[in-house]
Amino acid sequence: MSEQFKPNIVAFLCNWCTYAGADLAGTSRIQYPANVKIIRVMCSGRVNPLYVVNALQQGADGVLISGCHPGDCHYMEGNYYARRRLKLLKELLEFTGVDPRRFNMSWVSASEGHKWKEVVEKAVEDAIAAGPFDQFRRRQIGW
Amino acid sequence: MDLDKLRKTAAEVVSRDDVKYLIGWRRGTFGYRVAPHFIEDAAGVDELIFSPLCIANLANYLTLTEKLPVPRGQEADTRKVALLVKGCDSRAVAQLIVEKGIKREDVVVIGMPCPGMIDWKLLAERYPETDVAAEIGWKGEDFLLIRGEEEITIPRAEVLAEKCRLCRHPNPVLSDITIGEAVEPWAVAEDSGVAEIEAKEAAERWDYWEEQFSKCIRCYSCRNACPLCYCEDCILDRLDPIWVNRAVNFSENTAFHLARAFHLAGRCVECGECERVCPVGIPLGKLNRKLARTVREEYGFEPGLDPEAEPFQASFKPDDPEEFIL
Repeated sequence: MSEQFKPNIVAFLCNWCTYAGADLAGTSRIQYPANVKIIRVMCSGRVNPLYVVNALQQGADGVLISGCHPGDCHYMEGNYYARRRLKLLKELLEFTGVDPRRFNMSWVSASEGHKWKEVVEKAVEDAIAAGPFDQFRRRQIGW
Repeated sequence: MDLDKLRKTAAEVVSRDDVKYLIGWRRGTFGYRVAPHFIEDAAGVDELIFSPLCIANLANYLTLTEKLPVPRGQEADTRKVALLVKGCDSRAVAQLIVEKGIKREDVVVIGMPCPGMIDWKLLAERYPETDVAAEIGWKGEDFLLIRGEEEITIPRAEVLAEKCRLCRHPNPVLSDITIGEAVEPWAVAEDSGVAEIEAKEAAERWDYWEEQFSKCIRCYSCRNACPLCYCEDCILDRLDPIWVNRAVNFSENTAFHLARAFHLAGRCVECGECERVCPVGIPLGKLNRKLARTVREEYGFEPGLDPEAEPFQASFKPDDPEEFIL
């Protein structure tokens, strides 16, 4: 393959911190890789771990979840629950042999446009290193 | 195991006015099979048994009971259900109480310390089932098989079920009545039997699970037999949204197994029912024990030990591990 692999990364961002942080990165004209497809959710605690599994099934090469820093959650404690859950999901994926680099989680606040850039760069780098995902991708049956 | 004492206690319990029925074990119809036994009056206790083949977890029946609407003018039956439990089963009951799946006052728990159970598939491989009625009991550390005239001592390691080999709580963690002496917990491998897989390369791990998940026929026996899979509205049955597609193919099978294991993370009491009932022999217990081990080692939490505990995934500590977060 002569062309460089361009990973698809699905990012679930919390409305109050990281989404605003990504917006800040945009308005500040910070350049970051265009591989992330952002889905805005109200809180990182709203991200059902099955979203991650489903994203991988539907063609994502990596998943990024980002929310407020601990203690800063708009709903007081949503990100603490997310942290517990997604840690277990990461362990489970790793145990079954899915590359753990496909799954990243971060805390990015509304004022951290630069951190958002770094997080995306890391996630893209990881996904490129892990290669195209086809372990349990849903096969489209031609009708 | 003092069977007479068990039957006598059971008869006393079912005769109580506030007890609806008692759930225990009786001999199955053939071979080594054991069946659940629902006793409504003292006459039924004669069939009650407790042997190394009583591996099934009866706690499942607490939530399986159909709750029909009460007709107008009638009062709901508020009598208790009595249940025979081993160590692992009692943890399931405790976890159900934690999750408010059942109320403590609605159940009479008759606990029996469990010296270890036999995996009857292993037993039938070595000592094929015959027409002769067989009795099985414990003999010190080992098992004793009495078949007609023969008496065979079977070494413990030969037929002990895997979940019992890795059992940490052979004595009931909660019980209203305890029958028999508490047993000494045995030495258990710290790795919960998953280190062998963890030690492999990622690609090899994937090959292993790919083979296992491909076998799945999606009968959902694992869900139905699990005492802690009792949601009335299960994601596997929902059509809107479709969390897990119904197609039986490798992608959906993997999603299903990840979802199932994840839903039991921090809740699984390692009773091994999922693995026992699996018709194609997927080692589901390994997935559960891996997560249980993570929860135990990194969060210091073991489900089903304290009926007053907070559910693991519905609670948090500010200093939970977060080394994986960027």
